[in-house]
Amino acid sequence: MKLLLAEDTNDLNRVLTVAFQHEGYDVDSCLDGEDALKHALMVGYDVIVMDIMMPKMDGIQVLKNLRSKNIITPVLLLTAKSEIDDRVDGLDAGADDYLTKPFAMKELLARVRAMTRRKADYSKEQMKFGDLILDGETFELKSVNSIRLSVKEFEVLQALILNSDHYIDGEYLLSHVWDNDTEANVQTVSLYIEYLKRKLDAVSSGVKVDESPMGYMLRC
Amino acid sequence: MSEIINSIYGSHLPELECAMQFLVNEINVLRNKVKEEVGDDPIEHLNYRIKSEQSMREKCRRKGLPETEDTALRIIHDAIGIRVVCAFLNDVYIIREHLVNLSNCKVVEEKDYIKHAKANGYRSYHLVLLVDDNIYVEIQLRTISQDTWAALEHQIHYKKVKTENDALIISELKRCADELASTDISMQTIRDMIRKT
Repeated sequence: MKLLLAEDTNDLNRVLTVAFQHEGYDVDSCLDGEDALKHALMVGYDVIVMDIMMPKMDGIQVLKNLRSKNIITPVLLLTAKSEIDDRVDGLDAGADDYLTKPFAMKELLARVRAMTRRKADYSKEQMKFGDLILDGETFELKSVNSIRLSVKEFEVLQALILNSDHYIDGEYLLSHVWDNDTEANVQTVSLYIEYLKRKLDAVSSGVKVDESPMGYMLRC
Repeated sequence: MSEIINSIYGSHLPELECAMQFLVNEINVLRNKVKEEVGDDPIEHLNYRIKSEQSMREKCRRKGLPETEDTALRIIHDAIGIRVVCAFLNDVYIIREHLVNLSNCKVVEEKDYIKHAKANGYRSYHLVLLVDDNIYVEIQLRTISQDTWAALEHQIHYKKVKTENDALIISELKRCADELASTDISMQTIRDMIRKT
């Protein structure tokens, strides 16, 4: 599971990185808000842990920016101050949880585990990409025409929309859509990509699935 | 004898028969060619008819047109109707391709309600051909699932009894149409995968 950590205090950053890696997360760590935003826009993360007070761009700005771009990755904010306003602003900006410093490492790890478990609940909304509207409630895919997707087709397209600014590969889809189901393999993924390509065409959408050695990406 | 004299089609029934038979033969020739080439019959079933005297007159009245030979043969284009129900989506387009390229036929109207489904979910490929610059023929091409959907929709449509469930029924039929369309594409993709290996 991919985790993005943004914490400007060098020592704490190092301790947290090691702790998350020890728990089995694939960690990218940043020391300021700008770098964190750049990473979050480029890579599809499963969870983001972010300090509020950071140089260049604060955590709340990063968060608002991500949410405005439809990136719904769960975010936990670390707050130095125990001020209520700070926490309220963070939650209103789209944070899923917060933790006040100083905190117990055990609690942080437990909260991150809880957030990643909840991930499935984020898909109920309507998503838009190019001329497409994808309904998370009914699995209806709409452009000029409309069609109903199967659960897996929906999840593959959702992953592609949520990661629309970079390629995602078969491995990513196998772990995120098929939950590493042993009966699924790269052939399964490419068949579902093929279904999606044709269904995008069937709704007369201009959106295409681009295939490269780096994986798959949507194009308007 | 008097029946022929009174017919809304005048003395043109044999020409209608002939044009219809010509297209049915063309479709069957193509069908056998595809069967030989790939082993599968692209057509599930093929229906054709000349609109009955009574239906044609009713249609004229409904449209406020005079019940004349000219209306039946020149203004209304479905005196002859052919419906081709195909197994797979691609088959629809293979047959369409053959029909629009026939040298003695002119395409008068062409509507792809598969790529651009009607608001209620109706999907079908519509063609009107003019055979030998003389006889109009309406051809509907669709898949089995599109045909199944149309059959049910037709039933409901013709009940004409309004109930409080109408909105629900309409939106549910639309959902079914979109699910069937999705399945049609998946089945086509699977068949292509089987043929490739």
